[in-house]
Amino acid sequence: MEKKKGQKAKTGKTGAELDFEEALRELEEIARDLEGGDMGLEESIKNFERGMELAGLCHKKLQEAEKRIKILQKAADGSFEAKEIPADHETGEIDDDMQGSLL
Amino acid sequence: MDRASQNERFYTVTEITKTLKSAIENSEEFNRIWIKGEIYNLTLHSSGHIYFSLKDDNAVISAVFFRSHNARLSFKLEEGMSVLAFGSLTVFEKRGSYQVNVYQLRPEGIGELQKRIEQLKKKLSEEGVFDTARKRPLPFLPRRLGIVTSPTGAAVRDIVKVALRRFPNIEIVIAPVQVQGNGAVGSIVRGIMELNRPELGIDVIIAGRGGGSFEDLMAFNEEPVVRAFYESRVPIISAVGHQIDHPLSDDAADLAAPTPSAAAEVAVPQRLELEDEINYMTLRINNAVASFLRESAMRVDAAAGRPVFRDPMTIVDERSELVADMLSEIAESLRRGVSEWRQRLLSVPGIRLLTEAIVNGKKHRFGLAVGALEKMSPLAVIRRGYAVALDEKKRAIRSVGDVDPGDPFTLVLKDGRLGCAVRTKEGGEYFGEKKGAEGKNG
Repeated sequence: MEKKKGQKAKTGKTGAELDFEEALRELEEIARDLEGGDMGLEESIKNFERGMELAGLCHKKLQEAEKRIKILQKAADGSFEAKEIPADHETGEIDDDMQGSLL
Repeated sequence: MDRASQNERFYTVTEITKTLKSAIENSEEFNRIWIKGEIYNLTLHSSGHIYFSLKDDNAVISAVFFRSHNARLSFKLEEGMSVLAFGSLTVFEKRGSYQVNVYQLRPEGIGELQKRIEQLKKKLSEEGVFDTARKRPLPFLPRRLGIVTSPTGAAVRDIVKVALRRFPNIEIVIAPVQVQGNGAVGSIVRGIMELNRPELGIDVIIAGRGGGSFEDLMAFNEEPVVRAFYESRVPIISAVGHQIDHPLSDDAADLAAPTPSAAAEVAVPQRLELEDEINYMTLRINNAVASFLRESAMRVDAAAGRPVFRDPMTIVDERSELVADMLSEIAESLRRGVSEWRQRLLSVPGIRLLTEAIVNGKKHRFGLAVGALEKMSPLAVIRRGYAVALDEKKRAIRSVGDVDPGDPFTLVLKDGRLGCAVRTKEGGEYFGEKKGAEGKNG
């Protein structure tokens, strides 16, 4: 969702600033306000656009993370690094060889 | 002596035994209690059940430790060993005897451990380590889940499985630690600290293990581990499978879960549920706008159908007040922008379909509704070749009255803007002149 200048509805925050929970809450507020039906033309359109923007933002945030399983492993300098490992989606099984040493 | 024959009340042996059995087995005093004694007459039966007696200097009681309960026994039973047995009293009718049905057995030395835990609990509690006020809420939508547990047990599998089922694209970082035995305490503390490193970007941690005996869970009662839960910058869930006593880590964590999979259930939201909620909200916005349009259109039609428009001359004959009222009513509805709604929005392709479907009470599938809704967006209208005229203050020009000849304005098109100026001005309905144009309502 592209950033919009001068967005005033509700929090007025742009997509990058909102977290998922805030966006969802604002979306709900907009739905409630529009259902209230006390808005004029301009305001309805503005809220409508904002609602669409927020819904898109929420969907995007849900898709953002990428499934990845990592495990901490000791690096050469003694610190721990998170290494990506394969894991079975159904059983949650982790490959034995990938488990490395215990912390 | 001969009372029975005189019809005096008597119990059969079965009756009195059943009465006794019921009195004992239903009494809280004899259920889920701890009994201290020494093991004596120990029999490890081939069925897996363990039979023995508990005795002290003056008394003896038989005990049975069924296979289903003794599978987790973590120490070797020996004759003469002093133990604490947790269980309930039962009556064995066929033999006329009572016995303890043991659920858990601890070496008596454990009494010392328990005392130590109690003392630690008191100390940490006074320090405020267990204060409920400082417990933080879990993040609503965690991106990265951290797990501190053994990489080989069922716990890690359960958490990963449940987390991926609920949110298929979640990221997981596992700190593989030793959860019992020597070294477990340091290992768990390191695991929690490592997952707290800011660069890992973890926003919720589950630390724990599957169920085990009292001693197996002991690491989660040790001060450094309890403090590591307390000091975790990242919200942390204690997930230690337990049957009787919960470990102190439960009290220090932001949230306690009875099992590792339960922890994953509370930490990770269901992605599908969230998507449904967003779609539901979108549909509500969609419906609200559509019904607003429909009502506006109906109000315009109602106004247009008034006698003043159908046959103005009859009205002229009536009282002039009435004419004035009606005219002001119409003026009012115009002020509300009703006719603008009709002109500007009913001319948008797709909106009529949506409105009609809702009018007819047709149920929409989400996808259709959302698609139609997106088409309704003024941005989408522009994308299809319509234009919006904005005055100098970036307000939409909705009426010829908004501008005067010579005024500059901007025409917004799908691929850019045109700087324009008003040449001439002329009132009247553009769409109204064309019969059957999109703007006419049927």
